[in-house]
Amino acid sequence: MTTRRPAPLVGRFAALGLLACWACGTPPQPRAAGGERIAVMAPSAAETLVELGVADRIVAVGDFVDWPPEIARLPKIGAYDAPNAERLVELGVTQLFTAASQAGRGEHSKLERLGIRVVALDTSTFAGTLASMAECGRAVGRVPEADALLATIEARIQAVRARAAAAPRRRVLVAVGHDPVYVAGPGSHLDTLVTLAGGENVAHDALSPYQMMALEAVLERAPEVIVDSADNKPGSPHGLAAGIWGRWPFLPAVAGGRVAFVDPWRLLVPGPRLAEMAELMGRLVHPELFGEPQPEDFAGAPRGGGEE
Amino acid sequence: MSGSPPAGRALAPAHRLVLVVLALTTLLALAIAIAVSFGAAQVPLWQRLLGGAWSDAQQAILLALRLPRVLAAAALGGLLGVAGVAFQALLRNPLADPYVLGVSGGASLGGVVALLAGAAGLGVPVAAFAGALASLIAIERIATSGGRLTVFTLLLTGAIFNAFSAALIYFLQSVASREELSAIVFYLMGRVPSAGLSTLAALWGAGVAITLALFASARDFNALTAGEEGAQQLGVDVERLKRRTFVLGSLATALAVATAGLIGFVGLVVPHILRRLLGPDHRLLLPAAFLGGASFLVLADLAARTLAAPTELPVGVVTALLGGPFFLLLLRRSGPASGEGAGYGARDV
Repeated sequence: MTTRRPAPLVGRFAALGLLACWACGTPPQPRAAGGERIAVMAPSAAETLVELGVADRIVAVGDFVDWPPEIARLPKIGAYDAPNAERLVELGVTQLFTAASQAGRGEHSKLERLGIRVVALDTSTFAGTLASMAECGRAVGRVPEADALLATIEARIQAVRARAAAAPRRRVLVAVGHDPVYVAGPGSHLDTLVTLAGGENVAHDALSPYQMMALEAVLERAPEVIVDSADNKPGSPHGLAAGIWGRWPFLPAVAGGRVAFVDPWRLLVPGPRLAEMAELMGRLVHPELFGEPQPEDFAGAPRGGGEE
Repeated sequence: MSGSPPAGRALAPAHRLVLVVLALTTLLALAIAIAVSFGAAQVPLWQRLLGGAWSDAQQAILLALRLPRVLAAAALGGLLGVAGVAFQALLRNPLADPYVLGVSGGASLGGVVALLAGAAGLGVPVAAFAGALASLIAIERIATSGGRLTVFTLLLTGAIFNAFSAALIYFLQSVASREELSAIVFYLMGRVPSAGLSTLAALWGAGVAITLALFASARDFNALTAGEEGAQQLGVDVERLKRRTFVLGSLATALAVATAGLIGFVGLVVPHILRRLLGPDHRLLLPAAFLGGASFLVLADLAARTLAAPTELPVGVVTALLGGPFFLLLLRRSGPASGEGAGYGARDV
């Protein structure tokens, strides 16, 4: 999920105008080292690749990649898993990292015929995220680095799990959309994070990792903690505050002051930051064990990385 | 005419009207009672009436979420049903629905632009209503030539307005961010909101007012079935009737789309079903379409809220799945309509 605020409408029209102008195509960037020229569409894969130390091979990124700062300003080549094939060829891309999707499959075989090796990653679940980090390591020849990264992440996650093991389970709602309310359900990395941090996801019976939930059901299930990561608009509130949930003062989370507005960047891009996310979830669900969350726990990406 | 129902011979029109309104009001009350009894959450509604107690959460679920939504569904269904009858009469076309004359396109476009501009709360429906009014005025101007509103031009203009709005919306979707895109998709999919008091008052007030205003022209609609010239000969001010119908039907559509997005099928199927059951007399059809449309959408939204709980289905899916087969069944059982245009008005005024 992207974490930067969208460009204003006017700006986007201007951007379209620029795209339409033939004379202003970006020339290929002389950045590639070690032969491969990488384009990465998925924010989570982008973080992993930079973490594995191959940032200098990346020559282009998807529209939603705005972190880490090293690669945030590279040429943008399209949204979702649909890169612009002409731009890929123009930039001399040899390897494409993207999200695995049914829709993308046909497109991907077309790109393979153009000589672009496609690495399709499934980061829709917790296990898939870990597996996709290992796969990134194999794809760029950095297996030891990937193994080390995974070992660190798993050790830190294990520590969170161990500390929360004996604590009482708290009912947690993770909201990723407001109108209608969209929640993180089973299979999502957020569901796993909630469970290992000593919580119980009130959307445990949702049919998919991210699903709409009737407000009636939210009120009935009376969450004790609400983690609200739905809003990345400028000026949207961060921190512990009732916010829009204050309309329902009888919710235990509202009455107990445990509604947390967390910038989506902190929680919604599964990847190398999974361990930090687990620790943050610990502070949100069981502050008596993990310590109260700090102001930076709620804020967006530091140093305004990727801000244009 | 063979479309006249048997009861017509026995009862005077006024008596039939009272009977139909009473029956459909009872149906609506029943639908509302059932709809507030069920939802994603369990609320022991009837226990409370027998002296039990509710928790704060149960009270909020019922009074802040469920009841306002059921009442909104009723008014929205009524508006769409009446707009459907009005446009089918105006265009003398069985395929006409509230969305055919272009106002819904303007409403959707207004709502989408407001969403992208970051509007929240009532900002979106107000912008959608403004978009609908703007397109209403534009369409009326374009379709009028020499002081006459030509039905054929009106239909074409509406179709083109809808296509143009759809294209603009696709364009906006393609440049929207991921969050904006999902907000747009949800908005366009159509959803009955748990409306606030002012919205409920506006929907119900307008619904009743528009139904009564159209009801005042019911005889003229019956005359219009014979064609514009035929109606003229019967003393109907056809130009005024067409303009009035277009404006009133469009206002009903505008309100519905602005508050709930595009909920399909209600405005198409409810008028047809009622015409099959009650015959072609608009004096019965118009009030029946409000009450019948209201009951239909209340029950469809009940299904949308409960079938996949705790998640919800798009109500448009339910209206199509319920309305389509039911209408086809009715069509099979009562046989084909008696000749061209027979369903769209009464010749025996």
